[in-house]
Amino acid sequence: MRLEVGNIFIKDVQFGAATEVKSGVLYVNKDELAKIAGSDDRIKSVEVFLARPGESVRIIPVKDVVEPRVKVEGPGGVFPGFMTGVDQVGSGKTHVLKGAAVVTTGKIVGFQEGIIDMSGTGAEYTPFSATQNVVVKVEPIDSLKQHEHEVVVRLAGFRAANYLGQAGKDVKPDEVQAYETKPLLEQVAEFPKLPKVVYVYMLQTQGLLHNTYYYGVNVSEIVPTFMYPTEVMDGAIVSGNCVSACDKNPTYVHENSPVIADLYAQHGKTINFLGCVITNENVTLMDKERSSSQTAKLVHFLGADAAIISEEGFGNPDADLVMNCNKIENLGIKTVLITDEYAGQDGVSQSLADSTPLGNACVTAGNANQVVTLPKMDTVIGYPEVANVIAGGWNGSLKADGSIVTEIQVITGATNELGFHTLTAKTV
Amino acid sequence: MVHMCTIVPISMTVGANRIVPTVAIPYPLGNPALEPADEKELRRKLVKKALEALATEVHGQTVFKD
Repeated sequence: MRLEVGNIFIKDVQFGAATEVKSGVLYVNKDELAKIAGSDDRIKSVEVFLARPGESVRIIPVKDVVEPRVKVEGPGGVFPGFMTGVDQVGSGKTHVLKGAAVVTTGKIVGFQEGIIDMSGTGAEYTPFSATQNVVVKVEPIDSLKQHEHEVVVRLAGFRAANYLGQAGKDVKPDEVQAYETKPLLEQVAEFPKLPKVVYVYMLQTQGLLHNTYYYGVNVSEIVPTFMYPTEVMDGAIVSGNCVSACDKNPTYVHENSPVIADLYAQHGKTINFLGCVITNENVTLMDKERSSSQTAKLVHFLGADAAIISEEGFGNPDADLVMNCNKIENLGIKTVLITDEYAGQDGVSQSLADSTPLGNACVTAGNANQVVTLPKMDTVIGYPEVANVIAGGWNGSLKADGSIVTEIQVITGATNELGFHTLTAKTV
Repeated sequence: MVHMCTIVPISMTVGANRIVPTVAIPYPLGNPALEPADEKELRRKLVKKALEALATEVHGQTVFKD
């Protein structure tokens, strides 16, 4: 499967009469975007804001971040299973508004959700302070139940992103990158001397408000399966969760998985990247045992010499990570684990809920319990008072002067376990 | 002490001696799929099992399965 990704660099975002890309500027017709994002009977209102790097703007509570893309050639469309049927994606050509992002916000659904600051201390902890953000604030009708609230906002974000993505359809990309993974036997034969690597892509699926979707299917319902790495570049995996926003993968991060990018960068040079096994992180022991056994079986069947395993989230998914590691290592396949840590505000507590001596190669994306002070911002899009209830904050996090004292756990993408941000930690 | 816990491997890692497996992480001692009376029965059974485990002499880490 071969996909060409054409990046159209977006250096600025502005409101305009028509939604279009001109000379690296994304112009957005505010009313049309609001109408399309809000085209759902369960939505009461949609407001659209812009938030650019360096501005004194806070977005809270952030639900998802989505990158606008559009299919230019080849089967299917972006976000299959939600927006564009369920044809196989991951081949042909896709255009990307690189540098632009849709950020969804609005009344809080539960205790989850994150913060994006566009400047100051907070900006250093989120990758989305560097994107040109089109913020879509979605308010549901009063009678909507919580679980429906989540899906309503999620879909509004995809509609907004696909609407903006269309603006890139006829624009010549500034850069084109091609990615290819062949059918297994051909792929193995192409680089016979290089070690064969499979990526085990763990997805958050801990139930209501904690799920991830693959072609519209709730990943909690799947048994682990093979995925061509290019499928994510067309939005095959989307986020439905943001509790403890620091280490949940917004849809944007799935579209731009740095693990997949790095594996492709080494493909044919130092490794033979065979593809991905996607698996879940469910809430019963039987599910965890089943999924880790099936994952190990599939990695072994694919003939891997080594596997990269990334976790999404923390706590009980640490048990999934450890089971995947143990079962794959016990088949004679080397593993490298990617996680983050909840080592306490002083950093001296046990970092993960579970452990294994076989996990002897582990990369960490930082300590989510680290406390920071986020300065007051001139503009707040959303509801600042939720800083007192979202995971990582506490009653009193929001100060009278508008600043927020909180763990970095609340900051969207701060300790992203696909390595999408800059934090890491060293063993001392 | 008895550790009632859904993810038994974590109980093992943290060194619990008596471990009683439970239902699921969001509802260790319940099950929203059951009728209230059946759920109460399930809860009673788990607590009884935990009390029996507490009264049982163990030599090393022991999981009290059904």
